[in-house]
Amino acid sequence: MAGLFLWFEKLIQAMTISLHEVVPVPLKEKLLQQVSGIWNSDIVFTAPEWIKIKAPSGTGKTTFIHSLYKMRTDYTGIIKWGERDINSLAAEELAVYRQQKISVVFQDLRLFPNLTAFENIELNRVLQTVYCEKERITEMAQALGVEHIMHQPAVRCSYGEQQRVAIIRALVQPFEWLIMDEPFSHLDKTNAGKAAALIAEACKERNAGIIITDLHDDDHFAYSRKFIL
Amino acid sequence: MKGLNILLRKLIKTGAGRIRFAMAIVGLSIAMILILSAVQLQSNYNELLSGSGNRDSIANFLVVNKILTDRNLKNTTLSEAEIQDIGSQSFTDAVGILHSSRFKASIQSSSAQFPFYTDIAFESVPDSFLDVNTKEWYWDESSNFVPIIVPGMFLDIYNFQFSLSQGLPQLTRDVVKMIFFQVNLYDENGGVHSMRGRVVGFSDRVSSLLVPQSFMDWANQQYGTTGNKAPSRIIIRTKDPGNPDLVRYLKEKNLATDQDKTRFSRYRQVVEMVVNISGVTGLLMLLFAVLIFTLFIQLTISSCKEEIKLLLTLGASPKQLSRFLMRQFFPSNIIIIILSLAIVCMLQYLAYRVLAGQQIYISPYISMFSVLTALFILIFIGLVNFINIRKHINYTY
Repeated sequence: MAGLFLWFEKLIQAMTISLHEVVPVPLKEKLLQQVSGIWNSDIVFTAPEWIKIKAPSGTGKTTFIHSLYKMRTDYTGIIKWGERDINSLAAEELAVYRQQKISVVFQDLRLFPNLTAFENIELNRVLQTVYCEKERITEMAQALGVEHIMHQPAVRCSYGEQQRVAIIRALVQPFEWLIMDEPFSHLDKTNAGKAAALIAEACKERNAGIIITDLHDDDHFAYSRKFIL
Repeated sequence: MKGLNILLRKLIKTGAGRIRFAMAIVGLSIAMILILSAVQLQSNYNELLSGSGNRDSIANFLVVNKILTDRNLKNTTLSEAEIQDIGSQSFTDAVGILHSSRFKASIQSSSAQFPFYTDIAFESVPDSFLDVNTKEWYWDESSNFVPIIVPGMFLDIYNFQFSLSQGLPQLTRDVVKMIFFQVNLYDENGGVHSMRGRVVGFSDRVSSLLVPQSFMDWANQQYGTTGNKAPSRIIIRTKDPGNPDLVRYLKEKNLATDQDKTRFSRYRQVVEMVVNISGVTGLLMLLFAVLIFTLFIQLTISSCKEEIKLLLTLGASPKQLSRFLMRQFFPSNIIIIILSLAIVCMLQYLAYRVLAGQQIYISPYISMFSVLTALFILIFIGLVNFINIRKHINYTY
């Protein structure tokens, strides 16, 4: 019976993301000489925490995001999603996590250049059991002021437009964690504010956590914790 | 799922190797037609062999004896070892020994209206080798009646030759079966033992006057002289009298059988050659076609490597992508195989029509084996495609 409760508790508990003495191999020499709030420490992020990680240039910001999302594995230490060491995940399991639990906005956006803005978003919407209706894409595009470029190939959109498309793409799927790498780097203050509001709404709706990295301090979200990389 | 497939189709273009694809399609089609034709040809031939035609009742049983030459006169018996050797050959299903009578015998009419008398000798074979099935085929020591089976050919000779030249009435098989006559058995001292006899059936299989085995054993013991007990003739049951191995064996051992029954061996060699050439060519072409197809799939995947990488990064599962790619490539294979089957169906029907004109009857439909072969190849190609796709997609990014 106790086991059943434990199992049930685990089920309703949001997924944690934990780092155990993680040090990226390419940065090893450099990191040993400086103090970091993230690297080489034991940290547990628990959803729905909203985490800000301020990262000066060259401290391995993108490396951190990519490692966290299991796109690179050239680090020592252990990164876990829930109880699972992410290096032990098979390709199929990884896909399930990325479809259901973790969404991402890359610094380099990574849109399909030949698909339209709309198709780029739609693709992530239909990749798994549909979470929100198709109309929601148009609503979000309107909220961020990009509805007019929705049917242009992504390659012909400006970087600022692409950034907003990438944000909307991240918000059309179910997730417990939203990981973002400098998501507002090419947006002016007003547009960044609109995008942050949309993101905050989506995360609250899902009771999801945020991990965001940026070069500077900001007050886009009501952060529960802040780290310096 | 539909929406996803539309988007994937935009991302993963399969147009990269149209010419290769066309080559693979043409190669696969020809290969399929060749292989299926070979299988169909073989099964048609098997059907001709084991079909339910009349020819069969004689074709599957061969009476074998030594070839009589100047040198082996009076020495035509088959030894135990020789019989065993024949029995152990792969083409032999069963061997039966033809026992001949070692006593003098005659038959004569028991009716004064239709007088005849002739000296005679009998043979017997195990019942399982007989093509006459009658309850009257039974004898024991208390019985004074001997059932006799005669070759159908004998009656034909009487009806169409003898009776005409002698002004005698023609007799149907049923009439002959009603005529009782007297069978006389003579012992060494000339003593006579008479019994009643009657023809109970006609055999197209063994050209000899046959009596039940039990009667033969008894009579040989009672009246047999000390002549040679070893048999001179045996009867074998075989699946295929046209088997070239059988013909070769008989020739090697100086044995003879009815040439007419083994004439299929020549046809069979031709059929085998055609089947082999067509089958081997088809298999080689199939291998090449599958190879080209494999290369085509690899080319498609590698030309969309970046897209596939990003799809996986965004959370597309390798399974989703494999399933999508299978749906792009596999249906063409299914269509090819169905079309090839349809073509072979047509060819079979044509062959049926043409051969029927020559009194050779094959099925107008293709055999189960052809369909199974097609299914097997379909599964094989599907598996190769699937493994190929999985191998090139199952990465994590």
